[in-house]
Amino acid sequence: MYKYILDVAGGINWMALFALMTFLFVFVTSIILVFRKNNDHINHMASLPLEEDQN
Amino acid sequence: MNQKDIFKYDDKIVRNFAIATAVWGVVAMLVGVYVAFELVFPSLNVLPELTFGRLRPLHTNAAIFAFVGNGIFAGTYYSLQRLLKARMWSNFLSSFNFWGWQAIIVAAAISLPLGLTSSHEYAELEWPIDIAIALVWIAFGVNMFGTLIKRREQHLYVAIWFYIATCVTVTVLHVVRSLEIPVSIMDSIPVFAGVQDALVQWWYGHNAVAFFLTTPYLGLMYYFLPKAAKRPVYSYKLSIIHFWGLIFIYIWAGPHHLLYTSLPDWAQSLGTVFSLMLIAPSWGGMLNGLLTLRGAWDRVRTDPILKFFVVAVSAYGMSTLEGPLLAIKSINAISHYTDWTVAHVHVGTLGWNGMLTFGMLYWLIPRLYSTKLHSVKLANAHFWIATLGTVFYVVPMYWAGWTQSMMWKAFTPEGFLKYGNFLETVTQIIPMYAIRGIGGTIYLLGAILMIYNLYMTAKGHRVEDKEVAYPPREKHIKEKGEYWHKWIERKPIQMLLLATVLVLIGGIIEILPMVFIDKNVPKIASVQPYTPLELEGRDIYIREGCNNCHSQMIRPFRSETERYGDFSKSGEFVNDFPHLWGSKRTGPDLHRLGGKYPDSWHYNHMIDPTSMSPGSIMPAYDWLAKDDLDTKYTAAKIRVMQTLGVPYEHGYADIALDDLSAQAQVIVENLAADGIDQENLAQKEIVALIAYLQRLGVDARPK
Ligand code: HEC
Repeated sequence: MYKYILDVAGGINWMALFALMTFLFVFVTSIILVFRKNNDHINHMASLPLEEDQN
Repeated sequence: MNQKDIFKYDDKIVRNFAIATAVWGVVAMLVGVYVAFELVFPSLNVLPELTFGRLRPLHTNAAIFAFVGNGIFAGTYYSLQRLLKARMWSNFLSSFNFWGWQAIIVAAAISLPLGLTSSHEYAELEWPIDIAIALVWIAFGVNMFGTLIKRREQHLYVAIWFYIATCVTVTVLHVVRSLEIPVSIMDSIPVFAGVQDALVQWWYGHNAVAFFLTTPYLGLMYYFLPKAAKRPVYSYKLSIIHFWGLIFIYIWAGPHHLLYTSLPDWAQSLGTVFSLMLIAPSWGGMLNGLLTLRGAWDRVRTDPILKFFVVAVSAYGMSTLEGPLLAIKSINAISHYTDWTVAHVHVGTLGWNGMLTFGMLYWLIPRLYSTKLHSVKLANAHFWIATLGTVFYVVPMYWAGWTQSMMWKAFTPEGFLKYGNFLETVTQIIPMYAIRGIGGTIYLLGAILMIYNLYMTAKGHRVEDKEVAYPPREKHIKEKGEYWHKWIERKPIQMLLLATVLVLIGGIIEILPMVFIDKNVPKIASVQPYTPLELEGRDIYIREGCNNCHSQMIRPFRSETERYGDFSKSGEFVNDFPHLWGSKRTGPDLHRLGGKYPDSWHYNHMIDPTSMSPGSIMPAYDWLAKDDLDTKYTAAKIRVMQTLGVPYEHGYADIALDDLSAQAQVIVENLAADGIDQENLAQKEIVALIAYLQRLGVDARPK
């Protein structure tokens, strides 16, 4: 069955299209999410590697 | 105030991996320098085990999996524990990871020179070692997830995202590329043939670069660069976009290794488009790294660690700009099969991976041993030596690649190839090979200097697992409007699933149609399975690693069809388990070699290439005329191929050896007619190899 579906899909253009759409989706969502973050949180995240070992 | 947990980080495991990366790094470079000089002085091919075709895979595997691999583990084990404020979940898994990985490297160092190889670039190791790799890698993943689950820090820093993506993707890549059917304890036949095998190969090969040499090292960059610069990353937001953009796009770019081959056009175009898109996240990441040093440039001048990091990140930027450019068809037409590619990957490995590892080790070792670096001066010297070595390596290689490509494509006004003899285009660039060898040696000396410096640093000190105290993780209280991204950021499992889905999308859409749609590989009726003797000859070709110097894929350019014959069609490779297209032409393409020369030419050429081609840098394969052909597994190979769909007649495996002897006899008679007599010649390996070479490309050659 899958063979048949892939076959009648004809040119593979839908694949390129699908690839582009998923990419845009990922890209746009990540940008939106990133810019909705509040800065305190971002600063906290960015400073994580700088913490020195405490004892 | 919360009660604090008191616990110890596992720093001994970090030390072990750090030592391993330094030591294996030197070994990898040493082998690299040796194979580099083999191209200048072919007499260095003294033993079968030391010939170029067998050692080159050892060099690449050692550089990628031993040098960089141990570097990944060292850096990850150090940073993961600290970023999560937790000791590694399981001491057993940590040691299993360490000793298992070292055992795999040793197994590779033994099996590759013995000629035990699958022939797939960067996945040459045979099936028992493949299984071991999967086990050790999964142990690493389980250990990492155990640590993530018992972490004390709520949020996952971006470096950890890169580690998670690396972990899942490498597993997927490795498993798919290693799908093979064992024939004997150290031999197997891959399940894919021809074009499909090639597509899977470069989907794997490209992503080995992406998810082994790049994403984990980006994680290390996002941890160690801020650490060494003592300031946070320039833009944390950018790093998030860098992450999602990169892992999503990278997985698609593989087909750019197969431009102008018989891979269907749609797949080639996907490769080009996604490669070009890669520039955006890659450069975002590079700028993010460099800008982290804003305001710290005065320290860059004195601190060798920062210097290493600056050059590493710049090299990352250069290779990620060059890579997409090389994926443009018209540029690829020039660069592919030449030393240009070799230059490109060495900007990546020497510049990006090498320099980042060195910087990381100079930062890590004094801290692990609770002391100061023995000599900052020597570290500075190492920096300049490494930079010089890189320049002396890559500049001659760019030059050689360009020069040779232009010579391959040059025509006289009358319309003939200007350099009809391939060897002319090789001798022209041998001086460049010599300088490259010197560049590599310089780089190696730098690494040895580092080992001395680090040894002196560690001498007299011990690594104690560091005791620390942190409060346990707080219960998370959901904030309004913060749900989705925090959900991902807090939940490693979700992160893992999302990364897996993204990566799988690319793999599935690109590969499945090739495997399942027959019309992607138009059948050619005249293409028949290999005879048993040819099959054995082909396995000798694989064992000797001839594909490290010879391609079997003629691109549709006049400069290639004039030189080699009609261009290659995908239908010609349906019985090629594995494909042997190759990626570098140190010698000429062999796809239409069949019938070009008499058998006796090959006999003489294989025993001593310079006898037929004076000045040749091809190794001499004299043992092929001495060693008897092993036919113990011929029948088994044919049976496996039958199950994979190669149309041998039913029961053919049982009579295969009769056909094999008969065909060998014909070749022996041909040789005798040209005055070549040798005792028991029909049983020798060389006869099988000649049979294979004479079969190449004849089935579908236009009359
Ligand atoms: C170090 C790289 C290298 C390796 C490894 C190598 N070759 Fe070559 N080969 C060359 C070069 C360079 C030439 C061109 C000069 C010559 O004819 O010897 C060549 C030429 C040839 C030719 C002649 C092609 C023609 O059209 O004239 C054949 C056949 C050949 N090689 C077969 C092999 C086989 C089989 C193996 C493995 C057993 C092998 N080569 C391994 C570099 C290599």
